[in-house]
This record gives sequence, C-alpha cells and structure tokens, in this order.
Amino acid sequence: MPDAPSINESADRKFAVDMPNILFATALAGWIAWYCWDAWHANSAMENMILILPVSTAGLLLYFFVIAGSIKRPSLAEIQSTPPHELMDRGVAIKIAGSMAMLAALVLAGPLIGFDVATFVYMLGMMAFLGERRILVLLFFPLLFSVAVIYCFGTLLATPLPVLIFRGQN
Amino acid sequence: MLDLHALIAALHLLGSSWQPWAVVIPGILIGLLIHSVPGLTTSMALAICLPLIPYMNFLQALIFMTAMYAGSVFGVAIPAILLNVPGSAAAVGTTFDGFPMAKAGKHNEALGLALVASCFGQVVVYLLLLGLAGPIGAFALKLGPPEMLVLSLWGVTLIGTLSGRHLSRGLLAGVLGLLLGTVGVSARGVPRGTFGIDLLLDGIPVVPAIVGLFAAAELFNLVGREYIVDNLAQRQVKAIRILAGMREAFRHKTVMLRGAILGSCIGIIPGGHAIANLLSYSEARRVAKDPEKFGTGDPRGVLAAETANASSEGGSMATLLALGIPTGGATAVMLVAFSMQNITGGPSFMRDHADIVYAVILANLAQVAVLAVVGFAFIFAAGFVVKVRLRLLVPTILTLAVIGSYALSHDIAGPITLAVFAIIGWIMHKLDYPVQAAVVGLLLGRGAEGNLLRTYQMSGGNFGFLLTRPIAIVMFILLVASTTLPLVRSMRTAARKGKLKWNEEHS
Repeated sequence: MPDAPSINESADRKFAVDMPNILFATALAGWIAWYCWDAWHANSAMENMILILPVSTAGLLLYFFVIAGSIKRPSLAEIQSTPPHELMDRGVAIKIAGSMAMLAALVLAGPLIGFDVATFVYMLGMMAFLGERRILVLLFFPLLFSVAVIYCFGTLLATPLPVLIFRGQN
Repeated sequence: MLDLHALIAALHLLGSSWQPWAVVIPGILIGLLIHSVPGLTTSMALAICLPLIPYMNFLQALIFMTAMYAGSVFGVAIPAILLNVPGSAAAVGTTFDGFPMAKAGKHNEALGLALVASCFGQVVVYLLLLGLAGPIGAFALKLGPPEMLVLSLWGVTLIGTLSGRHLSRGLLAGVLGLLLGTVGVSARGVPRGTFGIDLLLDGIPVVPAIVGLFAAAELFNLVGREYIVDNLAQRQVKAIRILAGMREAFRHKTVMLRGAILGSCIGIIPGGHAIANLLSYSEARRVAKDPEKFGTGDPRGVLAAETANASSEGGSMATLLALGIPTGGATAVMLVAFSMQNITGGPSFMRDHADIVYAVILANLAQVAVLAVVGFAFIFAAGFVVKVRLRLLVPTILTLAVIGSYALSHDIAGPITLAVFAIIGWIMHKLDYPVQAAVVGLLLGRGAEGNLLRTYQMSGGNFGFLLTRPIAIVMFILLVASTTLPLVRSMRTAARKGKLKWNEEHS
C-alpha cells in the first residue's frame, strides 16, 4: 500500500490523489449508507433510527470532506519535501499479508480442530514464517506455550476451550 | 463531610486482624497479571475470583477485591506502553505517548512514570472520597441521560479531533465507531447490520474488537522487525531508569494533579472512566506551551492519561458506594461481591454503614503503597518484553489475544471479530485514521443511543427541555469548544501557509 500520494500531472498543474484513502473512505461510506438503509428497512420508527440516522448523515458528509482532502494541489515546497512514491517493502508486505492469513486460519481452525493443536501449528508456522530457524526453538516453544495456555485457561481460569488432545483440562 | 466516629470504626475494623491483609499482594498481582493478556479484563478477573468470596470473611473479601481492582488500574498501562495495546478503554490515552517512548528505548522511564501516575491518581481520588463521598454521591444523582449523552459525544469528538493529522478522518473514524457500537438488536427488538448472522445479535463483541484494532494491527506493523526497540543499547531493563522515570513524574506535579482531579470528577459518571484519560490528555496538551511534542513520547502525556485513568476508577467506586450504581464492568462485579456479603451500595448504605465505606477507602489507600512496591517489581519483569525477538512475541501475543477473545465470548464471534478488526485497524493506521476514535465510538455507541432515546422520552419531543439541564449545557459548550478550537487553529495555520505559498509562487 503506498504511503505517499501519487502525483498525476494535468496540463501545467499537479494534483496529489491519495487513491488508497479514497478507496477506503468509499468503503466506509458504503458501509455507513448500507447500515442506515438496513436499520431503516428493519424498522423506521424513531426509537430505531434516533441515533443512526443523524450519525450516518454526519458520516456521509464527512466522507466528502475526506475525499476533498485526498485530492489537492501541493505547493512546490511540499512536492520537494515529499519522498518519491514510496511503496512498502515487498518482503514486509508479504510478511504482513501472510501474518493476516495465518491469524485468520487460527481463528477458523481453533474451534474446529481444537485450540491445542491449532495453537501449536500456528505458533510453529508463524515463527518459521517470520524467520525463526532454530529447530529446537521451533518445536519446543510452541509445544510448551500451547500446553501452558490450555492449562491456564482450562484449569486456572475455568474457561472451557475446544481442544483435541488436552481434553482433561476442560 | 468527614465522619470521625465512622472513620475510627473503620480503622478499628481494618486493624482488627493482620490476616485479611495477607490477600493484598496476591490480589494486586492477579490484577496486574490479568492485564498482561490482551483481551482479558478487570471484570473478568474479578468474576473468576467471585467463587472465592463466600470462603472469605467480609474484611478479607473486601481487601481482596479492592486489591485486585488497584492492581488492574495500573496493569492496563503496561501493555499500553510496551505493546501499544491498552488493557482497557481507560488506557487508550496512555498509548499516545507511552508507546512512542517505548519505541525510542524509554520503556523503563515510561513504566516508572505510569506507576507514579497511577499511585498518585489513586491517592488523590481516595483522599477526595474520604472527605467528599457524600457530596459526590449527591452530585452524581443530578446526572441523567442528557448529561451522559453529551459526555459520550464529547468523548468521541474529542478523540476524533485530538489524534491524527486529519480532522475529517478523525471524526469519520468516530462516526464509524458509534455506528458499529449500535449493531445488533435495537430497543425496538429488530436486528440491524447483522448480515443475518446470529452471533451479532448481541452486538459486536467490544473487547475483541478493541484488541483487534489496537493490538493485532500494531503487531502486524512490527512484523519484519527484529525487536520492538531497534537499538541494542536502548534495549535494557534497568531499575535505575525506572526510578528515573518515577522521579521525572514529580517534576510535573501540576499535570498529575490536574489529571487526578479531572479523572475523579469524570469517573463518577457512568461510562466516564472510559474517556477521563482522553479528556485529561487533551487538557494537558491544550495548556502545554509546546503541544506539538505530545504524541511523540512526551512524559506529560503518559502522566496526564494515567493519573486520570487511576482516579476515574476511584470515582467509579464512589458511585458504587454512594448510589449502588456500577459505572463499569469491574464495579458491577464488585457489587455482586458486596451482595454476596449481604451488602448493597446506595444512599442508605452510605448513611448506615459509613464505617464500611471508610474502610473501603482506607484499604485502597493502603494498597496504593503496596502497589508502588509490587508494581515496581512487576514492571521490572514486564520490561523484558523489549528483549524478546518479535518472531516469538508476535505469534505469542496474537495467540493469547485469539484465545482470550474466545474465552470472553464463549464462541467464535470473539476471535472472528478480532481478526476482522485487526485488518481494519491496520488499514486505518496506514491511512492515518485514528483507531482510538473508532474504539471510543464503539464503546459509547450503544450507551449514547440509549441515552438519546431516554432524553427524547423525558423531553416529550421538546428540545427546550435541554435548557433546564445546566450541567448538560456546560458540557455541550465544552464539546463545541473542544471541537471547533482545533479546527479554527488548523484553519489559521492553513491560511498562513497559503499566504506563504502565494508569496513563494509570485516571487
């Protein structure tokens, strides 16, 4: 994701268009509009819309301010001081995207295969993905951590978790 | 005012045996430990320990619960500083300068500052309570739905204007939070914004959402780095530097005192403790000669937020004792604990059991002294987080957050919420939308809707009714001023820059 706005030249003038922000703000505005419609559709009574309607309206108005702020003509000084079109380092971007995917996998797999197994696999995979290469650390840290977490939550905190192996703890 | 007979009776009650005091250190440690796990809350810690209450005598139960409460008040600041993860909404303001200090290798000093601020805030509020418990209770009774509504809106707009470089993005984030806070079944009994998912009928699970927005999003940003603190020389945990931070705190007595008094006043209002730290931070920045330093690792930011956080929790205790009204999850569980000992808070309780009220206050004051020592040892241990490689720390914290979320919601709604909000939080962070505004909105959304509805019902649709609420009017004026002043200031700066630009292009 670009950190700095891209600069599109038009005739003799330069405009900075913060496209990622426009896309995100549009997504937010879209959700706000949908939510307001959904609430209205569910029940248009005062009790149901008393906060949602005015706050949604304010949100949609703010959206236009955000968009207006995302398209501007910078001064010469600003152009000179802004670093050239910075993109996130490819390696870091891959690691962040991979971390997000693995988090999603843990969330979905935990209740299905048990948090004991899912935690072990996730810890091992994530540590290896982030650069851990010591085999003993890769094996024992996730193992000890998984056992400790399941024991603490299951026994000490009396919080039942879905597990596959450590059933005695819950 | 101070009832000397009751005070002496309270001292007699507390000094009758040393044994109940044996639970102070375990209580404080549990409070501190619980908040080192993202997703776990004070109310959860208190709730888990509730089954122990019937096995304790009254005094022991009282001291145990208040010790846990005291520990948790400070505990929330530790992950806020070290990991940018506020243990609760009350520590959001602490992240603003605490985490930049940690990233700059000043984690020891930041933790020392927070410890002193927390102890100071608690001492101030409990001293105030000792003398003014009755009048505070009477004042709290005058606050109704209109005041609470204005307070909620004030919190959201304040945080929206306070953080980030773009006012419109801050306010949009606040609006988003407010709306997200109302998702679920409405007062009319109809589901809104649930996408037909049953798990969302009760609304978006707030704690997992907060942990996702703050913690997970920040952890994604740390991916690719070796340590939280890059510089090896700065990656040290030294008691002497924690002490230096503690000494530094006393150079800013005015900031601490202002934060403590603000927090005490706001904390008595239901939901107030969530925004007391933000209002205090905002006020400290407003009166500072160099406000631009706030947000970059300024000790005054940590002190302002932390003193208000600590004192607001004491304020919540005042409302609990004086009115029998819990103003948050933690005080709600304490109310249950009190009732297990056949004690119910409220005006008659204040009148008939003033000795017990004073005993609670004095026990808290004594626990602050213990907290200073135990907290010091705890932060010394917690400071070693900066020495752990991020490739171990990131998966560890994320796993704890996911399991903590599951434990909190007892179903998959918690972990899914965490994951979704982690991604949203990361994008917001990248695009300079203040995540804090969305969090405060999310926290206050449902309450704001309820208070607006009750205000409407009280007024019968006649908005002239608001003119009969002077406290609400004053708060509304403050809301407008705190929103418009930064706007006017930024417009003036923009106009000045525009003038310079014009001169630059025409010279």
